[in-house]
Amino acid sequence: MASKVFNLRIDREICQGTGYCVRISPELFELEDSLHAKVLNDAPPAEFEEKILEAATLCPTRAITY
Amino acid sequence: METIRDLIPPPHIQGIKHFVDYALVDEILRSKNFRQGSHQESQPFFGDSLLTIDHDVHFERRRLQAPLFRKEALEYYEHKELLPLIDKALEECKENRDETGIVRTDLCALVRTMLARISAVTTGIDDVDTPERTDAFRTYIEQLGTGATVEWSTEDHSEVISRILKIREGFVQEFYGPSVERRKKLIEQFRNGDLSEDELPRDLLTLMYLHWNEEWDEELPLREATLYLVASSQTTTHAVPHMMIHLHEWFEEHPEDFEKRFDRDFLKQAGHEAIRLHLPSPALLRIALEDVTLSNGTTIKKDERVACLFTPANRDKTVFGDNARSFNPYRETPNVKPWGFAFGGGEHTCIGRTLVTGLSARTDNDEGTDGTLVNIAAALYKAGIEIDPLDLPTYTELSHHDAYGRFPILLTNL
Ligand code: HEM
Ligand code: SF4
Repeated sequence: MASKVFNLRIDREICQGTGYCVRISPELFELEDSLHAKVLNDAPPAEFEEKILEAATLCPTRAITY
Repeated sequence: METIRDLIPPPHIQGIKHFVDYALVDEILRSKNFRQGSHQESQPFFGDSLLTIDHDVHFERRRLQAPLFRKEALEYYEHKELLPLIDKALEECKENRDETGIVRTDLCALVRTMLARISAVTTGIDDVDTPERTDAFRTYIEQLGTGATVEWSTEDHSEVISRILKIREGFVQEFYGPSVERRKKLIEQFRNGDLSEDELPRDLLTLMYLHWNEEWDEELPLREATLYLVASSQTTTHAVPHMMIHLHEWFEEHPEDFEKRFDRDFLKQAGHEAIRLHLPSPALLRIALEDVTLSNGTTIKKDERVACLFTPANRDKTVFGDNARSFNPYRETPNVKPWGFAFGGGEHTCIGRTLVTGLSARTDNDEGTDGTLVNIAAALYKAGIEIDPLDLPTYTELSHHDAYGRFPILLTNL
């Protein structure tokens, strides 16, 4: 079965810098400054699917797409 | 009619530092150097609930509750719960039909009924069904709301607390207790393999009992449920009448737009404008965890409480344009969320926001639901809503809230 291909992104304009995503997966997200998070790996392997989904739902502004 | 008023800071926030600029409010709400500053005295009602905890425990609680707001869950609420509940409340209005065939009712009462039932579903309270039970339930939520905001009460605070605690016993007996019992039984069946997880209710109480944390006290789910009920019903109940009166005035001034009353994108933007202009409370309060110097040089001492006046911040001309104080469903706000701080900001940003606004590509990188405001407004237009020209809406005099108390309407197409 072909594994899922992600294109992980954070919309800077709507990110609130809560750091929730970083807590869910420091492997994938990092706080750039106190106001914004950034993606560390925009094409993570399939095993990250659960974490990506969780971060995307938890993000209060739903700034994360994948 | 005056539909946009200036905020007069109520007595309870006089004497503490006020912030009214968009940028400074944003800075404070996002900052990790502050904690929640509201509901200090209302611990029996909101204590340790999501709104009053901060940082690590807050994150864990929010994480636990996040599945309630997954895309599939939002789609389920909207299609399986919200739309039928809106229809049911309108159906019940038909009893008020006069001899000319027109239904007369009060928009505030109608929306209160809808929202009481919708908030019961997301929280996990059963049997808020008949008009009588809905009325009783609604009254309980209002009383619990009074308890939750006791620190602003002009009455003796300890008397308010003991009065509302007594009333809460009735709520537990009539609504909360039986709902919790049913959920506990369902969870037991699930654990025994007699039910699948999909068959469990999708609500806050089920989630909390399913993922019980030994550090919680027995009453925490009651306080969390109180938060959900109070936070979800009053806010939206206040927002709908504002949205409808602004649209009424807009269509009077722009008759060519009247046909857009069923256009969901137009209604979405109208909803955003209504909640941008009319905030659910006078201020968001925060307490400094250490001495803080803000970017404009203002210093705030450790343990000092500050008030973010989000009404003026949401009308800041530098952000929303010269006509920021007026309603404009075509407003473009490329760099900020169209509702500004209506849902707060930072860690405590409203968890229920997507229920209200629906998901949209512009603000959520996703779409698929329209939310309560659009669905209620569209149903009201379908029912032929008109504002009674002989009996105009009036503001509530019961609280400092920017909200209507009476809003007579005609439903000419029901
Ligand atoms: C027009 C509708 C609504 C408005 C304007 C609104 C506004 C707000 C605001 C301003 C806050 C932040 C308070 C603070 O920072 O001190 C908040 C938090 C909250 N809201 Fe809403 N809300 C609305 C609807 C809802 C709904 C439908 C729910 C149902 C789930 C809800 C549940 C909550 C909860 C649980 C919190 C606490 C979140 C936290 O502290 O992490 N709200 N809301
Ligand atoms: S969870 Fe969302 S708002 Fe918070 S830092 Fe991550 S992307 Fe930004």
